[in-house]
Amino acid sequence: MTFMLTCPICGRRELHEFLCGGQERGPRPPQEGLSAEAHFRYAQFRSIPPAPQPEWWYHGQGCGVWFKATRNPATNREERPGG
Amino acid sequence: MARLPASPTQRIDPSRPIRFRYWGGEAEGVAGDTVASALYAAGVRVFSRSLKYHRPRGLYGLDGESANTFVAIDGVPNEAAETTLLRPGMAIAAQNVRGSPERDLYGILDRFDGLMPAGFYYRLFHRPARLWPFFQERLRAMAGVGVLQPSGSRERPGRFERYLNAEVAVVGGGPAGMAAALAAAEGGGRVCLFERRLHLGGHLDWRTRLVDGQPLHRRATELAARVAACPNIRVFTHAPVTGVWGENLVTGFLICPEGGIAREYHYECRARSVVVASGCTERPLVFEHNDRPGVMPATTAWRLAASYGVLPGRRAVFAGGDDSSLEAAIELAGYGVEVAAVADARAEGHDPELVAAIGEAGIRFLPGWTAGAARGTNRVTGVELRRIDGGRAEELRCDLLLANAGLQSLIGPLSTLKAQLGYCTRTGMFQPTRLPERAFVAGSMLGLRDVAAIEASGRLAGLEAAAAAGWDAESQIREARDAVRNAPGPAAGCFLACAPGIGRGAKAFVDFDEDGSYKNVVESAQQGFDVPELAKRFGGFGLGPGQYHVPGQNLAMIMAALAGTPLDQLSGTTVRPPLVPPRLATLAGPGLAVHKETPLHDAQAALGAIFRNAGAWHRARYFSTDLSCREEIRNVRANVGVLDSSPLGKFRIYGPDAQKALQRVYVSDMSKTKPGRCKYSAMCNDTGNLMDDGVVVEIGPGDYYFTTSSARAGATVEWFRYHTRHDGWEYQLVNLTDTLGSLNLAGPNARKVLAKITDADLSNAAFPYMGYREIVVGDGVPVRCLRLGFVGELSYELHAPSSYCGYLWDLIMAAGAEFGIRPFGLEAQSCLRAEKGHVIIGTESEQRVTLTDIGMGFLWDSKDTASKKVGAPALRHASGQTDRLKLVGLRIDQAERRPEDGDIVIDGTEVVGYLCTTRMSETLGWQYGLALITDRHAPEGGTVQIYSNPRGTPSVTHGTVVAPHFYDPEGARLRA
Ligand SMILES: [Zn+2]
Repeated sequence: MTFMLTCPICGRRELHEFLCGGQERGPRPPQEGLSAEAHFRYAQFRSIPPAPQPEWWYHGQGCGVWFKATRNPATNREERPGG
Repeated sequence: MARLPASPTQRIDPSRPIRFRYWGGEAEGVAGDTVASALYAAGVRVFSRSLKYHRPRGLYGLDGESANTFVAIDGVPNEAAETTLLRPGMAIAAQNVRGSPERDLYGILDRFDGLMPAGFYYRLFHRPARLWPFFQERLRAMAGVGVLQPSGSRERPGRFERYLNAEVAVVGGGPAGMAAALAAAEGGGRVCLFERRLHLGGHLDWRTRLVDGQPLHRRATELAARVAACPNIRVFTHAPVTGVWGENLVTGFLICPEGGIAREYHYECRARSVVVASGCTERPLVFEHNDRPGVMPATTAWRLAASYGVLPGRRAVFAGGDDSSLEAAIELAGYGVEVAAVADARAEGHDPELVAAIGEAGIRFLPGWTAGAARGTNRVTGVELRRIDGGRAEELRCDLLLANAGLQSLIGPLSTLKAQLGYCTRTGMFQPTRLPERAFVAGSMLGLRDVAAIEASGRLAGLEAAAAAGWDAESQIREARDAVRNAPGPAAGCFLACAPGIGRGAKAFVDFDEDGSYKNVVESAQQGFDVPELAKRFGGFGLGPGQYHVPGQNLAMIMAALAGTPLDQLSGTTVRPPLVPPRLATLAGPGLAVHKETPLHDAQAALGAIFRNAGAWHRARYFSTDLSCREEIRNVRANVGVLDSSPLGKFRIYGPDAQKALQRVYVSDMSKTKPGRCKYSAMCNDTGNLMDDGVVVEIGPGDYYFTTSSARAGATVEWFRYHTRHDGWEYQLVNLTDTLGSLNLAGPNARKVLAKITDADLSNAAFPYMGYREIVVGDGVPVRCLRLGFVGELSYELHAPSSYCGYLWDLIMAAGAEFGIRPFGLEAQSCLRAEKGHVIIGTESEQRVTLTDIGMGFLWDSKDTASKKVGAPALRHASGQTDRLKLVGLRIDQAERRPEDGDIVIDGTEVVGYLCTTRMSETLGWQYGLALITDRHAPEGGTVQIYSNPRGTPSVTHGTVVAPHFYDPEGARLRA
């Protein structure tokens, strides 16, 4: 399976130029008093709902930017590409 | 065999003979021949033996439809004889044969067919489990296609264009595909046209029938010439498509001509729109012994005669289900084949013009009849024709039986594209019912048979594709639509699932590659695998290299007939990629591995360096054939050595928030950097594993220079930016790894060598251990000099612009000559650093161990929670845990056979860890080891056992746990 993604700097490019950074889970939680479970939940757990979700992508073979894209894992379609 | 007289459809040049070897003997073909046509012309009829029953198999299609005609060429197995062009001197051998193809020793297996029902591997041999390896070995020896020769030639391809871009890609170079390409090109966009055969033209290529006063093959040449003359169409012939993917990515491979840049290369074409015009193929007729050599589709015999000038047989019987068979009968009669009869499974609906022509040629025409059984073993000798209603039968003699049950569409590209397909009750074929965005279909795969209609559908699809890619073609599309409407529509198909009256025990094959018979389909259904997708797995139908081509629609039609399912509810199987099998070497292999060379590559090669691939680089590993590197190591310890460490990651980070970013990714307190000082630290991941280590130097306010390990250099920018992505910090990160080369000058005489080529003050007071100086070397080369000690000696790392590194190397070698300087490689460095107890990430660290476990916890600023250091929560969590692996040093007893890297550490019968790195050290006088073992066994002074088992002969050696710093533990030599 393959699809294309829109880098906010370079535009629409082949999937193989990108690296997926996983679902957007918000900023790193404060470490003061952070339980092991809460940490691992943040760092390791991902869900892949069959619906549009914000994700992080890295344009490694291009400009080297991390950007957020809203993609539907069921269809591999981007919502509001580049937005 | 002499070729037929020259004709305008021929694709060969009989004036240019080509000699080759087959089965030990000499044979001759002609230029333009494929291996298959040359073998057939040379009289070969049995090409191979079948997978399970070792039945004789002959030529079936001419496009690589089945593994029947796989041969070994010059020792390379599984070459498709039909698609490989004949080359002078080829040595060709049949496959899956014990003896010769004609007399095969395992042929007797055919008689024990009852012992090999569908799924028999699974059902018969899986119990008792301990016997499975025995059966597996025997089965593999008997079954299988070809033997791989691992020592085969390694090719390095030349330059080619792998990634193509187009507004419109067209799959299939027949009349529809060419018309589509020409129409799409009118819009001015880039068009790529892919054709699996050597020539454009599709089914027109070999047809002499006159349409509007012009022979069809002439029409094909005309279209091909127009395509070739069109500047914005790129044509790729002999370029099978392996799949069409999401958002119209067309993948495939190009088979290069003799002497080309490679044997094959893989291509990917990203197109805005795609037109699929992959055409049709004959649907095999399932009847008794339909796999006998001499039974083939009508087109195969027709093309042998028309394109290759080979008389396919003397006396032919046709049993078809499509007008193309009628046309083939007339043509073959014209080439001199005696046509005994033309049976047609359709009772009506034939092209009256063709029926009349058959009558004129004096050929017996039997509508409503088909083939029931073939006679003969190594060659077909006759056929039993049967009436469709089973009413009557008749025996006829023949040496060629041209059979099909009509046509089926080549839906492969549509299947990978995830188009919805449905069975059409008019055309009798699977056809698209819903297409993905910007995908279009044209030509005979829509059921069209009239050539003008096929071209019109191609033109419409081409215009629509170009319009979807952004061309305003509204009026042209309207006209094209009218043209399609006014042309003849889809022709009625043939609905025969299999020949009438074939019994339960019939050897009527649905799939040749996997020897899947009608009987096996019945068995699958009885076992509960009663839908095509399940039966496919259970019986292996369509799992062979020919893929969909032979079982195609038949599996679905037979299963529906068995279950009594109405035809309009017919469901097929998904056609899997690659639609046409490329060679493995086309997708992977040494020729495709790309490695970087350092700026010192040539300098080291001149000194006899032996290079190995290390990560992204090609690096000098040894400087002699002594792989223990004794001399290289001794010289660093006693004199001075120089290492090319250019792959070392080198970065600059600057900006108001640069320090915050460093605090986030490094475990240490990075506010404590000082100008002129190297601060050593490490990076962890979120589970506390060591990811990277290196030094950071403050080179200005908010401006830092830092190094990473060679392996991590490529991921560093990504890592920094990922872990700071929510913070909006302002910093710039520049990867200088390739810009700057680096040399490590190490050994007690390092200072003396460096002093000869720079005026900088190198005294211990002016430039101490862990110092950083920007110095000028030789004729003014600016060098960043870092006084570090990875190998455990006084050493200077010199980072200089890559273009100056060669000069620098020569300078150092000349200056060091009086001190006995010599280069050392990666292996020597690995031994030197291991003696010193410096870890290499991934060698002495792994996923189960944290920074603390490998004794580097002192780097971690555990009190800092505000920076939200990556890895800190995990380190905190693991700090109280027991029963963890720890890095220890081992002093290994002398033993007859020395333990090696990777040997396991045991306590009785319990595995307690493993040896990461171990070497016999000349410096120490004993064998040391760095091992990861459980904390219970980690205290110093304890003894452990090391279990080695190379080549099946186990031995146990004892070792004593010591601190993992074997050499100069106080670090006096680094500070000297
Ligand atoms: Zn980009």
